[in-house]
Amino acid sequence: MVFPSNPVANQMPTITVGVADYKISTEPSTFLMTHALGSCLGITFHDSKRRIGGMLHAMLPTATLHEGEKIREAMFLDTGIPRVLSALIRAGAKKGDIRCKVFGGAQLMATDNFFRIGSKNIDMFYRLSQEMELDVVAWEVSGRVNRSIRLNNQTGDVIVKIPARPEFIR
Amino acid sequence: MKSAADLQTVVEMTRSIPCAPAILPKLLKLAEGSSSDLGEMEMLINLDTGLATDVLRTANSAFFASNQRCDSISDAILRLGSKVLYRIAASTLTGRWLVHPVRGYGWEPGDLCRHSLCVAICAETLAKKMHLGDAATAYTAGLIHDLGKFALAYANFTALDDITNRVPDEFATWREAEKVILGFESTQVTKALLENWGFPSTFVSVGCYYQTPSECPGRERKIVTLIHAAKHVATQIGYGVGVDGFYYEPDELALKEVGFKEEEMDAAIPEILSTIQCFISPSGEIRFT
Repeated sequence: MVFPSNPVANQMPTITVGVADYKISTEPSTFLMTHALGSCLGITFHDSKRRIGGMLHAMLPTATLHEGEKIREAMFLDTGIPRVLSALIRAGAKKGDIRCKVFGGAQLMATDNFFRIGSKNIDMFYRLSQEMELDVVAWEVSGRVNRSIRLNNQTGDVIVKIPARPEFIR
Repeated sequence: MKSAADLQTVVEMTRSIPCAPAILPKLLKLAEGSSSDLGEMEMLINLDTGLATDVLRTANSAFFASNQRCDSISDAILRLGSKVLYRIAASTLTGRWLVHPVRGYGWEPGDLCRHSLCVAICAETLAKKMHLGDAATAYTAGLIHDLGKFALAYANFTALDDITNRVPDEFATWREAEKVILGFESTQVTKALLENWGFPSTFVSVGCYYQTPSECPGRERKIVTLIHAAKHVATQIGYGVGVDGFYYEPDELALKEVGFKEEEMDAAIPEILSTIQCFISPSGEIRFT
């Protein structure tokens, strides 16, 4: 719980990222936040040398089910992650200096045939992170909790909020 | 607290909540009728200033407006049609109730409203895509499916904290914990509330069985299963999901019986999400009309 004792951080502006959306910020004194990940994945990207950060809130693993349709790239991990990375690099970040943290992917009670978006998202992110050689420094995924996250672009810290529990930092 | 008397206490306490959606069943009956009684509908809408304002505002919105301004409820009814009008009423009345600040389930203000709206939109979309009955009925069923939880939180039972603290270490599911710690389930509260307000049996069945659709007798099982599916899809999307959200068991038997397929539900999510985002902003603000 850093916020209450940190008045500077308390005054920093917050950019909100919606579901199936991404945002980047080149302003160090900024938070990027997204609410209620559910089974979605929230991925933070942070270049600590240049204090450039990004956040993706992706709902589904792959856009392949929607070939030929007009899609929102940030809806899907396989189209959203390349999109955020290229935006960060255009903004001045260096790929080799970007650290990622991944959150969400909550799972419903075990079923063999239904409602497995959480586990599919985690599997897809793992695969993509290998293929794209992402430097993933924190995994706060799976479980039966609805997470909201806030990236401090100054430090790269991510504050995690879960219903009925105290906030914590990853 | 472990008795049926406690359940009755919860139901009684909710009578004092302002703007309970008790006129919805009457409006639903009128909207379903082949020759809707416009006079009676106008009278009902005029009973509620907030609802009347929303109806007029929608009738004069860019989407519905014609050259002539709509200044009366009777004109608005003719312009909007009874189905659209009912949808506005369901959203306005239920939404107003559900945003009432309550403590429980780890909810932030408005969370139950956000989640119920998502369930309603999921139900409406899946009903249309899978030809599972009337989409407007599915929408309303989604809005009201968890009123019992609102009533429990409104009653401010410390037992809710006890459930939160003991799931999942002592109880695998939220239902099990409710049965042992409260002595009844939130679905029983929903059922009692909907019966008291005179909702049609379809909605009472949804409130009572949406967590366990295989237990629903008769022809209402299909819509009950639809709400069960919509609830789980909405939970995965995340809006307004409380501490209990991921501790309910999917009923695979009922889902298969109705013909649900995982890939079809996943494929519907982009459309569902686009609709949800017409009503809920990225920061979580809700705009019903």
